[in-house]
Amino acid sequence: MTVTRDGATIRLQGRCRVEDAEPLASLLHATPGLTVDLGDCEGLHAAVVQALLAFAPKVVGTPSDPVLRDLILPLLAGERQRGQRPI
Amino acid sequence: MVQFLVEGRELVAEASRDLAMLIARPDDVAALDGCFRAIHTLKGSTGLFDLQPMGAMLHAAEELLAAIRAGRPGHAEDFARVLEAVDQVDRWLDALEGDGALPADADAAGRAIQARMRDAAPALDQAEAQLPAVPDWQLSAAFTGLSGTAIRYTPRVDCYFAGDDPVAIVAATPQLIALSIAPRDAWGELEHYDPFACNLVIEAVSAAPRGEIEAAFRLVADQVELAELTAAEPGAPAGGMTTRRTLRVDAARIDHLGILADELVTAKNGLVDLAIAAEALPGGHTLGQALRSRQAQLDRLVGDLHAAVGKVRLAPLAPLFARFPRLARETAGALGKSVRLELEGQEIEVDKTIVDGLFDPLLHVLRNALDHGVEPVERRRAAGKPEAGLVRVTARAAGDQVVIEVADDGAGIDPARIRNLAVARGVLGRDAADALDDRDAVDLIFVPGLSTATTVNAVSGRGVGMDVVRAAAARLGGKVTLSGEPGRGTIVRFVLPMTMILTKLMVVTCGGERYGLALDSVVETARIAADRLVVMRSRQAFQFRDQVVPLVILRELVGGSSQGALAPRGGAERVVIAWVGGELVGFAVDAIVGRMDAALRPLDGLLSGAPGLAGSTLMPDGSVLLVLDLAELLS
Repeated sequence: MTVTRDGATIRLQGRCRVEDAEPLASLLHATPGLTVDLGDCEGLHAAVVQALLAFAPKVVGTPSDPVLRDLILPLLAGERQRGQRPI
Repeated sequence: MVQFLVEGRELVAEASRDLAMLIARPDDVAALDGCFRAIHTLKGSTGLFDLQPMGAMLHAAEELLAAIRAGRPGHAEDFARVLEAVDQVDRWLDALEGDGALPADADAAGRAIQARMRDAAPALDQAEAQLPAVPDWQLSAAFTGLSGTAIRYTPRVDCYFAGDDPVAIVAATPQLIALSIAPRDAWGELEHYDPFACNLVIEAVSAAPRGEIEAAFRLVADQVELAELTAAEPGAPAGGMTTRRTLRVDAARIDHLGILADELVTAKNGLVDLAIAAEALPGGHTLGQALRSRQAQLDRLVGDLHAAVGKVRLAPLAPLFARFPRLARETAGALGKSVRLELEGQEIEVDKTIVDGLFDPLLHVLRNALDHGVEPVERRRAAGKPEAGLVRVTARAAGDQVVIEVADDGAGIDPARIRNLAVARGVLGRDAADALDDRDAVDLIFVPGLSTATTVNAVSGRGVGMDVVRAAAARLGGKVTLSGEPGRGTIVRFVLPMTMILTKLMVVTCGGERYGLALDSVVETARIAADRLVVMRSRQAFQFRDQVVPLVILRELVGGSSQGALAPRGGAERVVIAWVGGELVGFAVDAIVGRMDAALRPLDGLLSGAPGLAGSTLMPDGSVLLVLDLAELLS
């Protein structure tokens, strides 16, 4: 289990793989406004990145992996278009 | 937009210069890089305005150059096509400057040139597949200014099922310096979000060598595009060229600074009178001396300031010259002649006013050289000359002047023909015309009405004659002369001041008016007793040292008074002895007032046509002093 829900926060831990994309998308879709914590995340599969981009939840935590931290996190934490998100 | 026009011209000039080199030597790598950079930057700038046809055409030019840079052999024809595109841009810049918009046919014209560039590059597609170069997609704004290899990876929709992790693949790329991930298509209704359908476009920049990047993407090579990013765009070109630190300043501000400096010179001159007045006061000698020494100090500083402001106004001739190759090609094309244009001395810097004021007269002379100078091909062949005519536009510094020559190797000007023309047009009588030596006869071409072509065509002879050229040169404080040999060619020579320099003047009065004379021509002032005057023919002269010097009554020449004869005052005349055209001449004046430094301004308005006047300047009291051109007065 690398995707866990803890109250209003979803924690992504360890290496998130392609199969984590589906539960993550379901959680984000079912409960808008959840925060995603990447503090313990060690890697994100493209499908997970894609889900985070699509649902655009608030992202917190700083992963230690340099690529994740320096290149991918800014893409998730920056200002993004949330226009088509159904509420 | 103004900025774009200025920079656009510079970039066009840069590209044209490099392309001309490439046409001559297609393997010149530096020229290829320079030209590519100029076109790339130019294309970038078009995006800021609504200049789609220009952008599209430049994009095609850039692709062609990129393919050559990437290793496809470049031929002179390729560069000629690109030059055609650059010429088109130059024409469009003219249109933008005039009408603020591209001409209505811009789209069609651009397409035609694009098509020709594609024809010129049959191997282009192949070459591109092999070694793609410039990104043909819109780079993410975040990547501006980066250098390296741009990567655009569009994973297949089913790649997750295939076991690909596009993010991991990109993350494994060595020396990744930037990354951007965006949806390929809009997310749409998230109700139907499919977590296993890949909908991403990943863009990245890597500083790693091309080979390593290709290795990292080898499994998904069909989904990846690579391209070289040229460093530090837009603006400073990367490496190679030395960048000059420059500041663009509105010319009006510099002009204002120039006027202030001129006025400071005038104000400073007032101190001399003050020092003299102080010295004349009882006990004022010390004060007068002190004033004088302060004045001398101020004199030097103001002189330096004036020179410094003059230098700010200096601009290279290059942008002016750079406009000629295209115009020469067009003109020669319209005339069905083949002409080579050589430019030299573009680096010479002259006052901006002069650079700006030279375009029309130089263009006129250049067109004349192409139209009337260079002969049609058959006649050149018959005369044993190379078929392509040669026109050289050269500039060189000569002291504080700049000499600009337009020389052609054409038919030259026949003095006899000019004489006949002058008689036919009623400029001169037959006898007067025949009495002229060849040089003066050729100079008649500058007389209004004479050089107007008998046949009007599209190139020159639109009723604008060489008199206009001479007037334009005079307005800039310069002169223009014509020389050459029948059958060998014609040289039109402009001699212009390089800066608005300070001239030392002697101020004299005559006929109740004050005039300035250039001090450097004055040899001596003397008082000549009436009994030393001799009459030779109808002219008066006097013995000065070992020679007989003709005496000219300046009052008569300037027309200040109807009184023609010498007015004997105490039996002696105040005479200024000066070198005029290689001879000593004495000028009788009423009085010599003093000396001053002045910034000579060319005459404008009604006075601009007045003969014998070199310019005007302001006196310390605010009045205008007319400065005489002694040589012209005597002629």
